[in-house]
Amino acid sequence: MERAVPHAVPLGQMEVFQALQRLHMTIFSQSVSPCGKFLAAGNNYGQIAIFSLSAALSSEAKEESKNPVVTFQAHDGPVYSMVSTDRHLLSAGDGEVKAWLWAEILKKGCKELWRRQPPYRTSLEVPEINALLLVPKENSLILAGGDCQLHTMDLETGAFTRALRGHTDYIHCLALRERSPEVLSGGEDGAVRLWDLRTAKEVQTIEVYKHEECSRPHNGRWIGCLATDSDWMVCGGGPALTLWHLRSSTPTTIFPMRAPQKHVTFYQDLILSAGQGRCVNQWQLSGELKAQVPGSSPGLLSLSLNQQPAAPECKVLTAAGNSCRVDVFTNLGYRAFSLSF
Amino acid sequence: MSSESSKKRKPKVIRSDGAPAEGKRNRSDTEQEGKYYSEEAEVDLRDPGRDYELYKYTCQELQRLMAEIQDLKSRGGKDVAVEIEDRRIQSCVHFMTLKKLNRLAHIRLKKGRDQTHEAKQKVDAYHLQLQNLLYEVMHLQKEITKCLEFNDSGVSFPNRLAEKYRECLSNKEKILKEIEVKKEYLSSLQPRLNSIMQASLPVQEYLFMPFDQAHKQYETARHLPPPLYVLFVQATAYGQACDKTLSVAIEGSVDEAKALFKPPEDSQDDESDSDAEEEQTTKRRRPTLGVQLDDKRKEMLKRHPLSVMLDLKCKDKVYYVERLNDSVLHLTFYYLMNLNIMTVKAKVTTATELITPISAGDLLSPDSVLSCLYPGDHGKKTPNPANQYQFDKVGILTLRDYVLDLGHPYLWVQKLGGLHFPKEQPQHTVIADHSLSASHMETTMKLLKTRVQSRLALHKQFASLEHGIVPVTSDCQYLFPAKVVSRLVKWVTIAHEDYLELHFTKDIVEAGLAEDTNLYYMALVERGTAKLQAAVVLNPGYSSIPPIFQLCLNWKGEKTNSNDDNIRAMESEVNVCYKELCGPRPSHQLLTNQLQRLCVLLDVYLETDSHDDSVEGPKEFPQEKMCLRLFRGPSRMKPFKYNHPQGFFSHR
Repeated sequence: MERAVPHAVPLGQMEVFQALQRLHMTIFSQSVSPCGKFLAAGNNYGQIAIFSLSAALSSEAKEESKNPVVTFQAHDGPVYSMVSTDRHLLSAGDGEVKAWLWAEILKKGCKELWRRQPPYRTSLEVPEINALLLVPKENSLILAGGDCQLHTMDLETGAFTRALRGHTDYIHCLALRERSPEVLSGGEDGAVRLWDLRTAKEVQTIEVYKHEECSRPHNGRWIGCLATDSDWMVCGGGPALTLWHLRSSTPTTIFPMRAPQKHVTFYQDLILSAGQGRCVNQWQLSGELKAQVPGSSPGLLSLSLNQQPAAPECKVLTAAGNSCRVDVFTNLGYRAFSLSF
Repeated sequence: MSSESSKKRKPKVIRSDGAPAEGKRNRSDTEQEGKYYSEEAEVDLRDPGRDYELYKYTCQELQRLMAEIQDLKSRGGKDVAVEIEDRRIQSCVHFMTLKKLNRLAHIRLKKGRDQTHEAKQKVDAYHLQLQNLLYEVMHLQKEITKCLEFNDSGVSFPNRLAEKYRECLSNKEKILKEIEVKKEYLSSLQPRLNSIMQASLPVQEYLFMPFDQAHKQYETARHLPPPLYVLFVQATAYGQACDKTLSVAIEGSVDEAKALFKPPEDSQDDESDSDAEEEQTTKRRRPTLGVQLDDKRKEMLKRHPLSVMLDLKCKDKVYYVERLNDSVLHLTFYYLMNLNIMTVKAKVTTATELITPISAGDLLSPDSVLSCLYPGDHGKKTPNPANQYQFDKVGILTLRDYVLDLGHPYLWVQKLGGLHFPKEQPQHTVIADHSLSASHMETTMKLLKTRVQSRLALHKQFASLEHGIVPVTSDCQYLFPAKVVSRLVKWVTIAHEDYLELHFTKDIVEAGLAEDTNLYYMALVERGTAKLQAAVVLNPGYSSIPPIFQLCLNWKGEKTNSNDDNIRAMESEVNVCYKELCGPRPSHQLLTNQLQRLCVLLDVYLETDSHDDSVEGPKEFPQEKMCLRLFRGPSRMKPFKYNHPQGFFSHR
């Protein structure tokens, strides 16, 4: 995507159109490279931009360092989800998952390594893929989205091994419980479902909206985000952001946030969440709001913590959502600067 | 034969340059000792005819062998390999033969060429000798005849000269007489021509070939200042060659133009006289400083008495009545003599009287109709940087204050007059350049026509919009479903400052898309208790530059793009996906299609509202639109995309 011209230059048709595209851009997904120095961001036009975090964070950083090193058209539809393995970037959105080599991605004209489409039941409309989850122990990838099923794909062979059915409406988010291994999924039907990967069965269901303390009918019942840490699970969306004890299926803490949350993650002894509204929220496990740090987008959809051991100097939190910008927080207290498509 | 050649081939081949004696000696050596080998010698000995036969034979053999190899290969089998190998060797041998024959052919050719060359040189030498001798002969003959003549006419030599002299004189007189005759003839023609011209005037008018008028115009044109002259010439040429709807005329007083070039002595006398007068009147009334400055300003901004008028006919199809109406864009170009810039005044007249809807006031007004014809060309500042110093002397801040009176100094106007004011190296004197004008003429004329036509189209559409009807033409109906319930209830113009104050337009303002050269409007779409406000930015370059919409919905609270992803998606549907809504060229339907789409989007938004379980009662807007799915993706987007002709809604 071309850079917008500064205001002083008269705007012809091309400049106006590009400015409008940027204004209406939404960044849905982010992923950090295995070396920790680069950040990939995927937007609603199907483009992926690779930013150099090391360049933008270095002391010699200039304005151009905040622009992508490379931008390419990855998918026909929005890129809703991305994850990285130790060599590949996996991106998905419009029903297909594609793999890109991190080592090749900075070169112009980079082509996908492979692309796969899970076996869908419907044929009228290709369902979207909203969430990707890596299961390192099995070397497999889990995809979930518009067709209400979780599909597992073997990364070695590319074969689709299981389809887990149970949700009655489309799936928003996934989380992995490493020890078991179990997968949690949250969907538009308002339920958080636990699946045992070995038996391929649903082992637990939590219908969040049925619990009066956290339900918020005027927002709807959809579960937009999930995170898990051993016995605990935090989820949000239409209902309030709530911390659950999984074994007993009880909500232990309700976080007093009115706006629906779209992304949540555990970080050290905190819970970070973001959603409608400008701020990244930091919560204590007790339910207290520790801090609210405003970003540059009117709403946020994705948070990414760069914890790659190979690049400790690039350890930052990045947030993106309803704009063409990715906010970079070098420490959780304030927004240092923003990268921009 | 081929085996012989291979025997004779030795690693060292000496190429001697066609000396037959040497070759013969070598040949005898070769047969016995085989030390030297000369192919040139061999060429002499061999018969070209037989070589040709050999060549044909070898080719045939090769073809046969290849065919056999092909057969063997296709057959397959173990013993086949040996046979193939055998044939392969034979083919190689044949190839060697062919190569030898090729070399021989080259050598023969070279020999032939050399011989021809030698012979030619000889012939040239003889020819040269012949020429020399002939020349000498001629020279001698001349000398002889001269001497003979001299001998004959030695006595009467001066007489010959005298004769020649008398001859010349008589010739001269004859020629002079002829000239006289011709002069008389020509002068007799003049009155006859005039009478013919007069007689032909009615014919000219009848056939639309006003040569007389053109002639008079060219007479007047001689008094135009150079930039206006360039414009006149280039526009006339363009009109004649490419565009019959353009007509050019010169207006103003030629006498005043002539008077500008009064000789300097007279004006000096005038000055001294007026000085004397002024001294006398100072006691009675001293002109105030303000009046003096005012006069100086007037003088600086003075226009040349002549101006050039261009009339452009714009065909304008009235879409609901099958008639063609011609509107005309009248452009009057002036030249400001002291500032060396040109200005233009514009006026649009239509065949039938236009009733101007309230919101359409600025569309065709002379002040703004041509604003930003090229992006950024607002015509409020002088394009000549040198003018700033002149302005400072007489206290003029900017030309903007005077444009209503003087006309707009657009950059394209300067270009049409051949004037170019480079920013990097300000020129001392800028002269009018025909090629600059010619290179911009066609594009500018086309832009002017497109501008007027799109403004006229908007004019008509605004009249309809003010009555709450979004005029969708039949060829654009397919973009929308048959039933659209949301209605446009208000369409008004708003001031630029008011647009900047709105709380839901901040993004557009920050992106630099809300300049003061744009036109701003507010539309209100309603359905039931839902009210959708749409603030519209109309760029003067419409319709190539799309209108930009920002929305604010009041229904169950206030929703804008900052707190509702679906409102943001609706804006994207009209702002970013505008190309689908352009309609047939020249895209005059863009704005009305965008408004209609906005009504459809509101319908979808309201009907797909997820029902709140805690609230009693039915939904205000039952779902009537056919949708495959209600929500999709992490942002839970509504299905805003209309699919034709199936008639259902889906997601992008």
